[in-house]
Amino acid sequence: MSFVKCCFESGEGHDFLDSFVQKCTDPGCCCGCCSALRPRYKRLVDNIFPASPQDGLVKSNMEKLTFYSLSSPEKLDRIGEYLFQKASRDIYRRRHGFVIIAMEAMDQLLLACHSQTLNLFVESFLKMVQKLLESTDPQLQILATQSFVRFANIEEDTPSYHRRYDFFVSKFSAMCHSNHSDAATRDKIRLAGIQGLQGVIRKTVSDDLVENIWEAQHMDKIVPSLLYNMQTAEKYETVSCMETDTRDGAEESPPRLAEACLRELVGRASFGHIRSVLRPVLTHFDRHELWVPNDFAVHTFKIIMFSIQAQYSYSVVEALMQHLDAAGPGASDPRSRTRVRAARAAVLSNIVAIAAGDSVGPSVLEIINNLLTNLRASVARDSEKETDEKLYQEALINALGEFADHLPDFQKIDIMMFIISKVPSSQRGKSTKADAMLQTILLKSLLKVGTTYKTTELSKAFPAAFLEALLRVSGASEPGTRALLQRILHTLLDRHSNAPLLHTPTVDYAELGLTVEKCSRQDLIFVSKHGYAIFSSLYDGLQLESNTLENVEAIYTTLALLCIELASEETVCDILQLILAVQQSALSNPVLSVAGQCQLQAVVVSLTALLPHVMPLMKLDDYIRKIIDSRSSEAPHLLPPLRREYPQLAPADMPSSLPYLMIDQMAVCECLKASGVESARLQAASPYAGGATLSLAHRHSWVEAGAAQGRDSLADITAGPVLEPDSANSSPGVQRHPMQAESVSLEALRRAAGGPTEAEKREAERRKATLNNAFRTAPFQHLREITQPKYEIKDKLEEIFNSISEEPLLPASGSCSPGGQTKSYQQHVPAYTKYFPELFLY
Amino acid sequence: MEDYKFLFKVVLVGNAGVGKTCLVRRFTQGLFPPGQGATIGVDFMIKTVEVDGEKVKLQIWDTAGQERFRSITQSYYRSAHALILVYDISCQPTFDCLPDWLREIEEYANNKVLRILVGNKTDREDREIPRHIGEDFAQRHGMYFLETSAKEAENVERLFMEIAVELMEQAKCKELPKYDGSLGPINGKTTSVGDSGCCLRS
Repeated sequence: MSFVKCCFESGEGHDFLDSFVQKCTDPGCCCGCCSALRPRYKRLVDNIFPASPQDGLVKSNMEKLTFYSLSSPEKLDRIGEYLFQKASRDIYRRRHGFVIIAMEAMDQLLLACHSQTLNLFVESFLKMVQKLLESTDPQLQILATQSFVRFANIEEDTPSYHRRYDFFVSKFSAMCHSNHSDAATRDKIRLAGIQGLQGVIRKTVSDDLVENIWEAQHMDKIVPSLLYNMQTAEKYETVSCMETDTRDGAEESPPRLAEACLRELVGRASFGHIRSVLRPVLTHFDRHELWVPNDFAVHTFKIIMFSIQAQYSYSVVEALMQHLDAAGPGASDPRSRTRVRAARAAVLSNIVAIAAGDSVGPSVLEIINNLLTNLRASVARDSEKETDEKLYQEALINALGEFADHLPDFQKIDIMMFIISKVPSSQRGKSTKADAMLQTILLKSLLKVGTTYKTTELSKAFPAAFLEALLRVSGASEPGTRALLQRILHTLLDRHSNAPLLHTPTVDYAELGLTVEKCSRQDLIFVSKHGYAIFSSLYDGLQLESNTLENVEAIYTTLALLCIELASEETVCDILQLILAVQQSALSNPVLSVAGQCQLQAVVVSLTALLPHVMPLMKLDDYIRKIIDSRSSEAPHLLPPLRREYPQLAPADMPSSLPYLMIDQMAVCECLKASGVESARLQAASPYAGGATLSLAHRHSWVEAGAAQGRDSLADITAGPVLEPDSANSSPGVQRHPMQAESVSLEALRRAAGGPTEAEKREAERRKATLNNAFRTAPFQHLREITQPKYEIKDKLEEIFNSISEEPLLPASGSCSPGGQTKSYQQHVPAYTKYFPELFLY
Repeated sequence: MEDYKFLFKVVLVGNAGVGKTCLVRRFTQGLFPPGQGATIGVDFMIKTVEVDGEKVKLQIWDTAGQERFRSITQSYYRSAHALILVYDISCQPTFDCLPDWLREIEEYANNKVLRILVGNKTDREDREIPRHIGEDFAQRHGMYFLETSAKEAENVERLFMEIAVELMEQAKCKELPKYDGSLGPINGKTTSVGDSGCCLRS
């Protein structure tokens, strides 16, 4: 033995003999007779095999082989080659016991090897694995996979340029789809397939020199194989964390392992590779028709979102969004296509929130813009009323909301501004049905985003441009759109969750349990800047003929919220002024139906009743209680709740015939004074006369623009509405103000006793206001009708205009009031010249 | 033992239920599985045959015919050396789909791939597609044509043998490096005709 050994160890004879022996591969020739002549490594390898495969690997001899290979690593390639040859022979002869032993030996050698020498051995090792995988025996396939996984977990430090894994990817993917008749075996094969894929991924992903696993030809096999296994799970539990290993049995069931593997794959994907993972995912869902129902799609995409590197997460959203409209295999049927689209959008809304946290800058607006574009496309498609299309739109809006929900507040405002800038303006020219629909949809999205916004300061919630845009839409022609807009205002105004309590008008606020907080300095500045624009737009909103009950209630809620949020002594006058103007308009606006008039009266009384609840105004409370009491006995239709239809009212029950049941401006002033609130502003006549009935759009936008830009008055003279009492008297058909001297209410008497001259003066002013109001709010036709029979209108108008032009020169009449009052004057001069240009032509 | 000279990848495609799996089984295992269930995804078989005294290893990938697995099966076309397009002679729709299949092959497979049209189930009495129709179709599209019966083992052997011969001739005239015991391609990499071409396509 030793002789033979030293013979072989030294000299050239070694190689010669070696190659000679190698050629003689038939064991029958060499085994017994000339084993002494065989090279040492072959003898060592031969010795590890027991006589009978049941005995297993001969441990002591295996140790010898290991020691040998470690001490002379240059022999490793030959050892590997020889082991492989032996195993191939055994596979061919179906001696599986020996194959298993050979594989075990290879595993041990692999682990024992130093990494520098590993490359020599790996080639034959992988050939061995492939050979086993090629066999039809599940046991060998599984064995091969296990060995491969062990190999995959070894970190190599030498590059392996020529190694390719395409067979492994193909074979492991095929194993993932195993359809073995025995369920247990099938699961084992599938598990092995997934483990194998995991191994390939681990091996290749970190090494740039080997095959690029992200290429389509590999991803198209790997990703569907994983998904196919995942979708067989009975239920989909999405765990957000990355530590899937903490769950029990992750290694036991194919779906779980596949999921873990997908997580790993996605987690390792860099930006450029995300697409190559996502594309097969989307195709798989299309092919297997997994969008409807979309449980699995949601599950999968959540997994992807949770495992992807955070900075890339928006690219998933992007990819899905681009796929929204893609045609699936069932594209021929438009109905099913819409359904698929809706389901995809639902998936989107489920995952978009996860992306939101990490999105920054342009990607946010990109996503929003994309969603809006899809919405617009959907609206354009929606010629017939399809419920699926509706669902799709809902889902998109939800997605928008979800996304916005997870953005910081300052971005929400940006987004809302962005959305409202996309709202088509229905005011100029004729709005088509699609436009109106798009408007509604966009407002719905806005509402969704708005609900996620937590208002802290009004000035931040309503930047000037945003407020302006909102108020512009508030004059939309569709009642539904207007109601929607009010709801947006509600959600943005409501800081103390009072909105649900104030859904419908009421006079009993005590039981509602409203949350009231003193309003801050900033809010006061905000309201002094923009209050008029808001109030004026709400006032106009109440004057529209097309209002439904919903509109009126919605505006009530907005006003009530404003009362609560802006409760302070500085604002109470503005609010009361508006309330009184509304009351006035309910009597004088000719376009309102009887029901509308009653509704407005009820709103007025409700709002007035609210004020004492947000501020210490005891007197006002008493006063309004009195009115409520007398109304409830005499005219319950003037109290909330609002009704859609009011039964035929007798002329005596009409609001205009019940002046003593109205809220009286003077009385209110008294009440305020009694509570120590400066009421001077209230005494000035109402600036809310910008009736919205005539050429609404034009006028409205003008008033709006002026107010929103906060143009401050240059003139500090204040003027109420400007018509001389004479002219008022001579104007026919204009309703008399209820607070005329004839009225016999207690207040009127008291006032008459108190100071008749002062009262008269005010009354004259009030009448002016009424007349003014009538001219501004009544339709032109109406005005013409009532004026024509008796007067030469041209003369009359000239008179009026003269008076207007003279007005600025007149000394200030009545009380002096700043703020909104001055603006009201400002608007007056152009109010006639601009709003009634037709009159000049006449 | 690892002494083959060539390794070729053969992929079977065609509608569900035309008998792809049965053809493969018949060839590799010599049996006809009566109640063969639908293939899921892809199946894999190997068989070594001898051509002119040289051993040729055929790696046969048997794909699922079902529509829903189409995306994964397509990914196997790319590396194929030969594509066997199978239809059922007793089922007109499977023949009607052939143009669709050809389109897919055009799109996903190597353009130099060897294509063979096979009409299976000749043992069936209720033939719907006459032999010459199939032949015409094959000729028009530059494919080899053969009618087989996996059940009766008719032409099955011949089919694969001819593929092996044809591919070997191709390989030989291109003088591509052959597999040779000790130096040969490594681990999973196969010596192949047009292998480089197909990689470029990706």
